[in-house]
Amino acid sequence: MWRYEKRLQYPVKISQTNPKLAQFIISQYGGPDGESAAAMRYLSQRYAMPYKRGKAILTDIGTEELGHWEIIASIVHQLTRNLTPKEIEESGFGPYYIDHTTGIWPQAAGGIPFNACEFQSKGDPITDLFEDLAAEQKARVTYDNILRMVKDQDVCDPIRFLREREIVHFQRFGEALRDVQDHLDSRNFYAFNPAFDRQTPPARQ
Amino acid sequence: MTMCENALLQKVYETGFALDEVTLYLDTHPSDNQAIEYYQYVKRMNQEAMAAYEKVYGPLMINQVIGNGWNWVNNPWPWEGGM
Repeated sequence: MWRYEKRLQYPVKISQTNPKLAQFIISQYGGPDGESAAAMRYLSQRYAMPYKRGKAILTDIGTEELGHWEIIASIVHQLTRNLTPKEIEESGFGPYYIDHTTGIWPQAAGGIPFNACEFQSKGDPITDLFEDLAAEQKARVTYDNILRMVKDQDVCDPIRFLREREIVHFQRFGEALRDVQDHLDSRNFYAFNPAFDRQTPPARQ
Repeated sequence: MTMCENALLQKVYETGFALDEVTLYLDTHPSDNQAIEYYQYVKRMNQEAMAAYEKVYGPLMINQVIGNGWNWVNNPWPWEGGM
C-alpha cells in the first residue's frame, strides 16, 4: 500500500522555460532507461526475491523511483509552462505539442512511447539484480548525456541529484547481489533458481 | 473487506480504507463539514490502529521504525500472504 507525500524528494524550481530541453529530459519519464521503467522493474521483481534484504531494497528503491518519476515530470512541466506557438515551432517541440499539448506523457526523447519491454522481471534473483545494476548505469549515462545539454543551473541541480541517486542505487544493488550469492552455493551460484526450484543447496564445506 | 487473522491488523485495514474513501469524497466535496469531521475521526482511529499494530509487529511505514534494530527488513512482506 502506498500513501502520497505532498512534496518532491528534491525540489524543482525552474524560472526559464526551454521546450527543447524538455523533449530531451522526458526520456527519463518514459524512455528506455527512465524512472517509470525503474519503478516498475524493481516493484515487479520483489515477488521473486526470496531474501529479506533483497525484498526491502527492491521495495524501497522502487518507491524512491516513483518519487524520481515525479521529479522528472515536474522538470518537464516547468520547462514547458506558458509557451507561445512561435516558441513551440522554433524549438522543435511541435510534434509532442500536437499530440499532448503540454501534458506529461511517458515517451522517449525520440518520441517512442513507454513500453514494458524496456525492462525485465525474469523470476531469477541473480538475473534480476544484474538487470538492476545495468539499469542504474544506463540511467546514469542518460543523466550524463542530459547534463552536457543543460546550461541552466535550475535544471542542472535536480538532474545532478538524480544522477547521484543512480550511483547509490547501483551500490545498494551490488550489496543485495552479494547477499543473494551468500545464500547460494559458492561453488556454483547457478546450480538452482532459489525463486523457483525446491531443491535445497548442497551443504557448504 | 477481507477478514484478517490478526485483530490489530484488521483494524488497520478498516480504518485505512475509511481514510481512502473519505479522502476521495473530500477531494470533490472540500467544504462538506460533516465529511471533514468524519475525516478527523477516521484519521485518529487510523493513527491509533497503526500505532497499536506497530508496537507489537513492527513498522508499517518507513518513518515508523522504533529503537535500535532495523526490523523493516525482518518482518514479513505483505505479498507473502501473512498480512
